[in-house]
Amino acid sequence: MAYADTLTASLEDYLEAIFHIIAEKEAVRPKDIARRLEVSNASVTGALRALAERSLIRYAPYDVITLTPEGKVAAKDVIRRHEVLRDFFVKVLAVDANDADSAACRMEHSIPKVILERFIKFAEFVDVCPRGGAKWVAGFGYYCEHGVESGNCENCISLTLDEVAEARKAKGVGGAGMSEKLKDLKPGQKGKVTKVAARGETNKRIVEMGVTPGTVVEVERIAPLGDPIDIKVKGYHLSLRKEEAEKIEVAAL
Amino acid sequence: MKQQITVALAGNPNSGKSTIFNALTGAHQHVGNYPGVTVERKEGACRHNGREMKIVDLPGIYSLTAYSAEELVARDFIVNEKPDVVVDIIDASNLERNLYLTTQLMELGVPLVLVFNMSDQAKARGHEFDLEKLSGFFKARIVSTVGHKGLGVNDLLDAVEATADGAGPGGEKVVIDYGRETEEEVSRIEALIQAEGAAQAAGANAAGYDARWLAVKLLENDKDVKAKLHSPAIDAQVEKSARHIEEVTGEHPETSIPGHRYGFISGACQEAVRSTIEIRHTMSDRIDSVVTNRVLGIPVFLLLMYLVFSLTFTLGEPPMGWIETGFEWLGGVVTGWWPEGSESALKSLLVDGVIGGVGGVVVFLPNILLLFLAIAILEDSGYMARAAFIMDRLMHKIGLHGKSFIPMLIGFGCSVPAIMATRTLDNQRDRLTTMLVTPLMSCGARLPIYMLLIPAFFPAAWQAKILWIIYVIGIALAIVFAKVLRVTLFKGDSVPFVMELPPYRIPTVRGVLIHMWERGWLYLKKAGTVILGVSILLWAISSYPKKEVFDQDYEGELAKIEERMPAAEGDEDALAALEGRQAALENAQQEEELSYSIAGRIGHALDPVLKPMGFDWRIGTALIGAFAAKEVFVAQMGIVYSVGEADEESDSLRDKLRDNYTPLVAFCIMIFCLTSAPCMATIAVTRRESNSWKWAMLQLGGLTAVAYVLTVLIYQFGRLFGLG
Repeated sequence: MAYADTLTASLEDYLEAIFHIIAEKEAVRPKDIARRLEVSNASVTGALRALAERSLIRYAPYDVITLTPEGKVAAKDVIRRHEVLRDFFVKVLAVDANDADSAACRMEHSIPKVILERFIKFAEFVDVCPRGGAKWVAGFGYYCEHGVESGNCENCISLTLDEVAEARKAKGVGGAGMSEKLKDLKPGQKGKVTKVAARGETNKRIVEMGVTPGTVVEVERIAPLGDPIDIKVKGYHLSLRKEEAEKIEVAAL
Repeated sequence: MKQQITVALAGNPNSGKSTIFNALTGAHQHVGNYPGVTVERKEGACRHNGREMKIVDLPGIYSLTAYSAEELVARDFIVNEKPDVVVDIIDASNLERNLYLTTQLMELGVPLVLVFNMSDQAKARGHEFDLEKLSGFFKARIVSTVGHKGLGVNDLLDAVEATADGAGPGGEKVVIDYGRETEEEVSRIEALIQAEGAAQAAGANAAGYDARWLAVKLLENDKDVKAKLHSPAIDAQVEKSARHIEEVTGEHPETSIPGHRYGFISGACQEAVRSTIEIRHTMSDRIDSVVTNRVLGIPVFLLLMYLVFSLTFTLGEPPMGWIETGFEWLGGVVTGWWPEGSESALKSLLVDGVIGGVGGVVVFLPNILLLFLAIAILEDSGYMARAAFIMDRLMHKIGLHGKSFIPMLIGFGCSVPAIMATRTLDNQRDRLTTMLVTPLMSCGARLPIYMLLIPAFFPAAWQAKILWIIYVIGIALAIVFAKVLRVTLFKGDSVPFVMELPPYRIPTVRGVLIHMWERGWLYLKKAGTVILGVSILLWAISSYPKKEVFDQDYEGELAKIEERMPAAEGDEDALAALEGRQAALENAQQEEELSYSIAGRIGHALDPVLKPMGFDWRIGTALIGAFAAKEVFVAQMGIVYSVGEADEESDSLRDKLRDNYTPLVAFCIMIFCLTSAPCMATIAVTRRESNSWKWAMLQLGGLTAVAYVLTVLIYQFGRLFGLG
């Protein structure tokens, strides 16, 4: 954006301050700005002149200051950058709100648009992706405070899956479509076991080796002749024939 | 305080149980069999603080559900023989799966000591254990060990001693909660079991098991427990309960009960295990990405199999030669104790019967030791499971297991070590099927027969093809019979191929050597005695009764030749003629003797039976001798055709054969030798490995019958088409 590139950091701060003051009390006087930004009246006058030269504000001595349409756009842009950064720090990085605000103030001027957009995208992605989600971020916060995570990943993944299933149900997608057979997963794909449909000895052996409903399994590879398959379950490798894998239903991750 | 403590070692396969057993007992081991099954029973002893400890190494198992013979044996041992302490060896780097067996041992309420073996590896993989907490969950002492370095073994013995003396923890029953619905049904069944038990003491069969345990097992559909209780009333209740649980919870108790056990484990682990780092691709995974690779997997496998085969047979050949020479020398020495030309029966018994027989047993030893060296390395390194993984598709098509491939391959060398190699198969049905069909892989001892007959009867252009056809027929028959056995004798669901692919490990020299020695010793002791007995029997029937009056006066004729020898001195031709005459007379005498012996008589008596195959009594007699070892057929044919000592290169024997038989008969002989009962050593080993004469006799009878029918068919059809 042209303004962001041409404006100095302090001019942006002025623009931002003007925008906020207008939003609060409709009319802006230089001393309001000086109070807000904790600077002297003289510096405010200089800055206002510079902004007027760029026709971002309408400014005449002793008159109220207003933003031109271009000025409004530029101010909103600065504010948006500030908000994006602050939200990212608070929500994703779990930083204290005041610290986040002051860091955002300092970073908002120099951050290129592309990276800013990525911050926004990332925050959005974390919010919607079932692998991340609000809980995931919360987990990160916990991690920052308490250090090392306990090895409870499978449970967490199971929980996540349940959430996804519920979300889909809520959207009316229905749970049936996502149930697949373990046999159909490709190497590298993970799935959560939903049902072991085998009976008798085969069932018993499959379950006793740890492939119980709720467990997350990963297909590691397929034998050179196409059967059996090698899956990872509970941290070890287990091989199954496809006819057995056919009887294990999973929710693909 | 008990002076002798009985300790049972339990644990998953690949948990390093044997290493701990070896570390505890050293060379003081004894290997036997559990009655009626092919499961091995290993025992050893050691002393600790002046107290005797008897250590029983139970078979490696994943669970106690009576899924396999191994599991049943382990369960029965723990319940019936009540060891003072059960030590559960756990691979600490694969904790959750290993603890599944622990939950079951715990439920049995036995005094338990847990061993977190390979704790160094677990640490390297980033696992940290709060042993105190875990000890509380599982109500047992926990000891950390590194089996192959012998670390922690002393602590283990201390823990065993303390537990045996009843200084808790250990032995307190831990109850796993199976969820409300299941618990209600469990108590219902439990009450019924107690009522029935009190009423008719039917529980006598199941004595030693407590009612809750039985109830849980029944809901898990444990056939062994069901048979033990043998109560229709209980069965009906169990069925009703299982249905009820499935209706309410949506899961059959067969699935939900193990699920709850795993739940208990993961609960315990969440509190007491910290995983600091997650290594996604371990060394083992990297090896697997090459070894079980889609493209490289099969070439690597074939290369390794080639190495195993050549290690066994190529490297085994020189020592086999030394053993043969050694026994020949020994025979010569013993012969020297009698004056030359002595006809002493004792001499013949010693030289031909005993020394020949023992030689025939020991001669296989190099092969067996080398093969088991190779197998021990493959198994201990973890590659064996990959071999099964790679070959399973192929072997499953013929109703066998991926692991059957190795015994069948070894069968091309010799059936004896091949049958011993079936031990790597876990399932009884797979093991027996493989054992029974392995002799159809044309072994090395049959090769001399083909080498004698093929050049004698077939034009050079056909020779290689005929040999190839013989081998292919053997393989085809093995496939057909494996299939037939699977739908008849060994009917039932195909055994699930739910097999662990253990992480690769470097085998320990000690473990490998102990394994090799065990196999060799078992072979000598168990199979050896049978082979020796049969050798002596075969010697007797081909030497007795002695013919006193011959058709010709051999003695007189030979004496005459002896007299004329000095006169012919100097005249080359005359001397050669005399020597030829002498040899011919000696051979003719041998032929008469063999024909007069029991073997010869059996050969004659079998004549009408042999006719349809195109065989005469001579072939019959030679086949009887070939039961000692297939290659003996060639020597026996030499004797019955009076050509003296013959081997597969003997042209004079080939001429005789050509004069007497057609190529069709020659082909029939080869087919019969290929399919008929293998040598007695094979039968003896099958008896030993299957732990029953029944299977050995089935193999003997079945293969002979098949060979007979097949040969008759080939001969008769051949004649029909004018080939004979």
